[in-house]
Amino acid sequence: MNEKRYAIVLDTRRCIDCKACTVACKAENHVPLGRENHRNWITEEEVRGQYPHLGQSFTPSQCMHCANAPCKKVCPTSATGRSPEGIVTVDEKRCIGCKYCMTACPYDARYYNEEIEAVDKCTFCQHRILAGRVPACVETCPTKVRVFGDINDPTSAISKLLAKYPHRVIKEGLGTKPHLFYLI
Amino acid sequence: MASFTKKPGELLWFSLLGLGMLVGAGTALMVLTKGHAHMYNVSREVPWGILISTYVFFVVSSTGLCLVSSLGHVFGIEQFELIGRRAILLSIITLLTGFGTIAMEINHPIRMAIYVLLTPNLSSPIWWMGTLYGVYLLLLIGEFFFLMKNHHKGAMAMGILGFIAAVTAHSNLGGVFGLLEARPYWYGPFLPLYFILSALVSGGALISIIVYYNYQFRKIPLPARYPHFLTTLAKLQALFLMILIFFIIWKIIPGLYGKPPGKYEATMAILTGPMAFNFWFFEVLIGMIAPVLILFTKRFINPFGVMVAGALCTVGIFFMRYDLVVAGQIVPMREGTDDVVNGLVSYAPSMAEYGIVLGAMATCMFLYTLAEKVFDLEMKEH
Repeated sequence: MNEKRYAIVLDTRRCIDCKACTVACKAENHVPLGRENHRNWITEEEVRGQYPHLGQSFTPSQCMHCANAPCKKVCPTSATGRSPEGIVTVDEKRCIGCKYCMTACPYDARYYNEEIEAVDKCTFCQHRILAGRVPACVETCPTKVRVFGDINDPTSAISKLLAKYPHRVIKEGLGTKPHLFYLI
Repeated sequence: MASFTKKPGELLWFSLLGLGMLVGAGTALMVLTKGHAHMYNVSREVPWGILISTYVFFVVSSTGLCLVSSLGHVFGIEQFELIGRRAILLSIITLLTGFGTIAMEINHPIRMAIYVLLTPNLSSPIWWMGTLYGVYLLLLIGEFFFLMKNHHKGAMAMGILGFIAAVTAHSNLGGVFGLLEARPYWYGPFLPLYFILSALVSGGALISIIVYYNYQFRKIPLPARYPHFLTTLAKLQALFLMILIFFIIWKIIPGLYGKPPGKYEATMAILTGPMAFNFWFFEVLIGMIAPVLILFTKRFINPFGVMVAGALCTVGIFFMRYDLVVAGQIVPMREGTDDVVNGLVSYAPSMAEYGIVLGAMATCMFLYTLAEKVFDLEMKEH
């Protein structure tokens, strides 16, 4: 049997920019207040068209849990690692705060958390996954933008979505092999 | 103390440096108690600020001093043997000051000392940076020891190893930036090459300053062999600067041609954006054009003229480091980043960051002046 490989599929057309995912993440993971402190975010794209025919898209995002993660490669003390299920992790005790991972991440997914005194980022709510639950951002989303699951299980909802719809990843050209898939 | 009162100039010098060191120490203490977040202006988007660029400035200086001094006791250009002890000693001091500066930027230097050994990551350029500079420091100390003992074979052996370590460690520092594919302004083989070249300019400049300082400033007549050395150094320095200008031009052209995303915005930030004054005034005018003009004007080729050219280069190179470090980060990594002005995030050092830089500069100069008093740094002719 294949090992698990967790990922998230996002259908951005469903996103209403309510930011519940950011709030849920902050509460779930004790992310400190402050502009720079967030594990996930929503990018508001430019408004399209002319009044009254207008449209706007919103792109929620977070750590891409890259298979070829630049942050992991550059960490001098191996504080950044990867779980067998593909989750990119930070071991707080080993983080020296050199912030090299922050300069290496092409997605700006990391920030320095003064409370835990280490670099912090999305963990796919690893503690919840262990308890059989989905990440907080996935659970809370009122329009169900995100679908979390194991892409190595062909019967999972996420695998079915990826099989059915074309999708893209962000900054594919950098070769980071991100595991946040956006339905087109 | 008695000797100080006889030399009011020296007393003033040490007092000024002492003041600078006090400011640095006071700021460091505040940073350690209040935390980096409250004292520094670095951010999520620009995590590396002036402390990193000042660290780069110091270690580039160290490498440059080592490389230029190796022209004497490694490559056998006799005139350069004169400055062997001074150059290597200042190389050690600038390296240590650089380490001190980066220790104030890293949040957990003690954790670092533990985990670079317990769980090293050999694919990390920063891991190699620490290791290679560590080896380099030991070799410099060995080289200085043999130079002081007039042990030429030992000094040469250490010098050769030191030269290799300097080039390896310093080009790897270029790699710390150059291996980040996420940062188009830094990414590529350019920075390792450029760091070595600009280190030569830095080394030559500092040597001209310390030679002048030790004689003219202390009112000791310049030994006859020095003017000849300075003439050669001036020619070499002019050559290094011309190559540096060539490098700078070829750093800019690929950043503009075809407007490559990320690289173009950073290059424009340097040329016409928020860093333009730093670039045109400090880097180009003060750091390159003025020294080149001085070094190509025959009547300026005297200890004072060469020293002024060196001092101008050193100022220019300080800004060069700063601009390089900051420009690589001010282009946001994603759309929709907060506080973006004209497509760029901003960074300006805080008072605390300036305080640490001031303290580091003062400490470096203090240690060097003190070392001049403790050691006999005049090379014996043989």
